[in-house]
Amino acid sequence: MDNGMDNMLDMYLFETNSLLEQLDELLIEAEKAGDFTVDDVNEIFRIMHTVKGSSAMMEFTSLMQIAHHIEDLFFFIRENGLDSLDASHKSTLFDLMFRSTDMLRAEVAKVENNKPLSDNVDNLTQEINTFLKKISKSTAEPSKKELVSDKINEKEFSLKQSSDTDSAHLEEIRMDLAECPDDLSAFFLRIFYEEGCGMENLRAFMLVNVLKEFGIEFGYYPKDVETNSQSSNIIIEKGFFLTFDSRKDAESAITQINSMNNIRSYELMENPHAKKVVATQEEKNPIASASVTKENTLAPAAPAANANHPTPNKQNLISVNLAKLDNLVAIVGEIVITESMVTSSPDIQNLKNMDNFLKATRQLRKLTDDLQDIVMSLRMVPVSGVFQKMNRIVRDMKQKLKKDVRLTIIGENTEVDKSIVDSIGDPIMHIVRNSMDHGIEETEAERIAVGKNPQGEIILSASHTANEVIISIRDDGHGVNPASVLAKAKKNGILTKPENEYTTKEILALLMAPGFSTNEVVTEFSGRGVGMDVVKKNVEAVGGTVTITSELGKGMCTTLKIPLTMAIVDGMEISVGKSVFTIPIANIRQSFKVKNEEVIYDTEGNEIIRCMNQFYPIIRIHRLYNIETEITSIEDGILVWVESNEKSYCLFVDDLLGEQQVVVKPLPVYLNSFDIKNSGICGCTILGDGNISIILDVLNLYTAAHNQY
Amino acid sequence: MSEDYTQTTMAGEDHHLSGAVASHTTDTTERYLTFRTENLIFGVSTNYIIEIITNHTITAMPMMPDYVKGIINLRGQIVPIIDIRLRLRKPPIEYTNTTCVIVLNVDSVFIGIIVDAVEQVLDIDYSRISAVPANNREELVSGMISIPDNHVVLLLDCETLVNNS
Repeated sequence: MDNGMDNMLDMYLFETNSLLEQLDELLIEAEKAGDFTVDDVNEIFRIMHTVKGSSAMMEFTSLMQIAHHIEDLFFFIRENGLDSLDASHKSTLFDLMFRSTDMLRAEVAKVENNKPLSDNVDNLTQEINTFLKKISKSTAEPSKKELVSDKINEKEFSLKQSSDTDSAHLEEIRMDLAECPDDLSAFFLRIFYEEGCGMENLRAFMLVNVLKEFGIEFGYYPKDVETNSQSSNIIIEKGFFLTFDSRKDAESAITQINSMNNIRSYELMENPHAKKVVATQEEKNPIASASVTKENTLAPAAPAANANHPTPNKQNLISVNLAKLDNLVAIVGEIVITESMVTSSPDIQNLKNMDNFLKATRQLRKLTDDLQDIVMSLRMVPVSGVFQKMNRIVRDMKQKLKKDVRLTIIGENTEVDKSIVDSIGDPIMHIVRNSMDHGIEETEAERIAVGKNPQGEIILSASHTANEVIISIRDDGHGVNPASVLAKAKKNGILTKPENEYTTKEILALLMAPGFSTNEVVTEFSGRGVGMDVVKKNVEAVGGTVTITSELGKGMCTTLKIPLTMAIVDGMEISVGKSVFTIPIANIRQSFKVKNEEVIYDTEGNEIIRCMNQFYPIIRIHRLYNIETEITSIEDGILVWVESNEKSYCLFVDDLLGEQQVVVKPLPVYLNSFDIKNSGICGCTILGDGNISIILDVLNLYTAAHNQY
Repeated sequence: MSEDYTQTTMAGEDHHLSGAVASHTTDTTERYLTFRTENLIFGVSTNYIIEIITNHTITAMPMMPDYVKGIINLRGQIVPIIDIRLRLRKPPIEYTNTTCVIVLNVDSVFIGIIVDAVEQVLDIDYSRISAVPANNREELVSGMISIPDNHVVLLLDCETLVNNS
C-alpha cells in the first residue's frame, strides 16, 4: 500500500512540477509580448484545472485553493475576452500570476520535503478575488453584450455561459423583461399585488417584516417602501423585488408569501450574472467541467501576437522510473565486461580454425556497441530545461536591480546525462546571479559611456566536444578587476605568494576560494562569498571543471566542462611491475620509446623530455606508487604522453598491454576516507580475466606527484 | 555445558554463511564468529558477515596505509581488504593455509579482513559482555567476554573499523 502511495505522490510531483514549469515559460513569453493570447489563457486555465484536481485528490488544500482561484480568474477572462482587461489590469495580472506560481512552487517544495503545507493561503486568494471583482465590475452588461455580438468566435463563449445554456439565456431575457434591479444576488422574486388593493408600499413593508421574523436573508427593491408612498406606483408597475442568495432562502420566502393575502402573482428568477462572480463551489464545478469538454470545439482565435511562443509539441513520450534506467545501464555495462571475458577467454586462445567464431564475435561486438550507445542515450536529456529556468531568474533580478539585461540561449538542445543536468542547475543559477549582480554595470549611462549597448547581455551556451559537454556563461559587463581581487584576497589572508607573482589566471581562480567576495556589503543575492565555491564543488562532484576568463571592461566568461559519461571508458592498459593500470584513451596523445640521451634534467634532478618543441615533465609511476618493477631504466620502458585540461606530461610505464573498453566501477566507499581521489586514482575496472585494473585520473595524478616532490 | 552456546567448528575452507543462518539473534543473545590473530581471539557479529574466503588475488592499491592490502573482485564487486594484524599494529607474518578473509558488510560499506584462522560460532549473551577496562582501551574492541576454556574473546567494533581515518 505504501508503494502505491509513493507512486501516486511521485506521479503528482512529476506532473505538477512539469505543469508549473510550463506555466512559467508561458508567463515569461507572454510578459515579453505584453499580453496573453487566447491560447495562453486556455492553457493557463487547463493547467490550473489539472493542478486543482490532482491537488484535491492528494488532499493538498493550500495548492487546491490557489489553483482554484486562478482557475476562476482565468475562466472569467476567457469568457469575457482579453479586451475586458486594460493595460494596468494586465500588468497587475502578470505580477499576480508570477506570485501565485511562486507560491504554488513553494508549496510543492514543501510536499517534496515532507513538510506541512500552509494552513492559510487567504492573503493570496483574497488578492485574486479582489482583482477578479475589479475586472468584473469594469465590464458592465451592455458592453459585454457588444463583445458577444462583435466577435464571431466569441459567440461560442456566450452560448456556454452556464451549464444549461438555454435556461440561462432564458433567465436573462426574463430578467430584462422584468426590469430587475441591478443586483448580483442569485435569485430574484418579483411580486405583484392584486389590482386596486391599495397601499402597496405598506403591504410590501409588512411582507419585509414577516420575512425578517423568519430569519430569511434577503434584500428588496424599492428600498423606501416604508417611508415613500410613491413607491406604490413602482410596485404596481414593475412589481416588488426580493433578492436572495440561495434557493433555500427564496423558497422559504415563497412559503411565507403563499400564506399572505392580496398577492396576485410572484415570479422566481435565477440571476445568471450572479453565478459567475460569486464563488459557490458546487455550481462552479459543473460549469468548469462542461466548459472543458467544449474547449476542443473552439475555433482558433486571431494569430498569437508573440509568434515565438512554442506550441507544446506532442512528442510520443513515456516517463520511466529512473531506478529502472540505472539498472538497465548497469546490466549493459556487465554485458560489455562479460563479452570481453568470453572473447578473450584463455581457453580458446590456442584453438585454430576459428573463422566462424571470430565472425560471430565481431557481430556480437557490433551489437553490444550499439546496445551500449542506445542505453547511454536513454539517460540524456536536453539542457533546455535548466536554461529556461534562468529566464525567470533574469526577469526577477531585472526588476529588483533595475538593470536592463537580456538573456540569450544557444544550443539548448544539447543533450546531457540526467544526473548532470540535475546537478548543474544550481551552479548555473549562481553564476547568472553573479553576472547580473556584479558583472553588468549599475546604470545604462555607464554602459553607454564605454560604447556598449545600454541593454546588457548574458549568453548561455552549451555544446559538445568528443567526450565533454561545455557550458559557458558569458556577460558583457565590466569584467573582473584583478587588482581588487588581489586586494580582497590579501585582506582575507588567502594569498600564498607575493602579489606580483600571480598570473591573471590564478587571480581569477582565487574567485572560487571559499568565502571570497569583493562585495563590501552583503546583498540579497550575493556578497556572502558562498556562490563560486559551491559552484566549483558541485561541478567537480560530477567530474567537471570550472574556469573563469575575464577582460576588464569587456566582460567575464565562466566555462563548465563536464565529461559526458563516466560509466564506460575507452582505455589503454599499461603495466607497471605486476600491476595493471588503465589510462583513458581520451587523455593520451602519444606513446613512444626514448633513449637515455634524450632525457633532460632540471635543477632539482627531475626528468624532462621534449615532445614537439615543448618540454614536459616525466612522472615515474613505479616511484610514485612504490611498485616493484624491474623496468627502471628509461630505455626499457615506454613514455606515454598524456594530457588533461591544461596539464600535460609524460608517464613512464613498463609496457603497453592493449586497448580495452572498460566499465568504470566506483572505488569502494571505505577507501574514500583515505583521500584516494587525490592520489590519481578515479576508479577501477574488472578485466576479462577477472583481474582488477586501476583507472588513472591524469589530472589528479599530476597533483599527487607534485605533492610528493 | 552446552545450554548457552552451540558449537559449529569451521576449518579454513570456503564457507558461505547464508543470511538466514547468520542473523539469528534473540533479544538476549547474538551469534559471533571468533577468529584468531596473533594469539588473540576476536569475535565479530554474524550480522555483518557475508562470507569467508580463501584463495583470493589481492590487487594492490597504491598510496594507502600499510594495513590496506588492496582490493579484490568478489563476483563483480570491488571489496577493499585490510590486514587486521597490521591494523592492530602487530607485526605481520607470512600467510599460512589457515589464513582467510572474512568479508563484512557494515551499513552497506563492504570490507574484508585478513585473519590468521577462524575458530567457531558462539551464541553470546549480552548480559555477560563486560566493558574493556579503561587502561587497556583498544579502539577496535567494544567489549570482552570469557568462554569456558578460559579464553577471553574480544568483540570487534565493526563500525569503528569502517569509519576510521
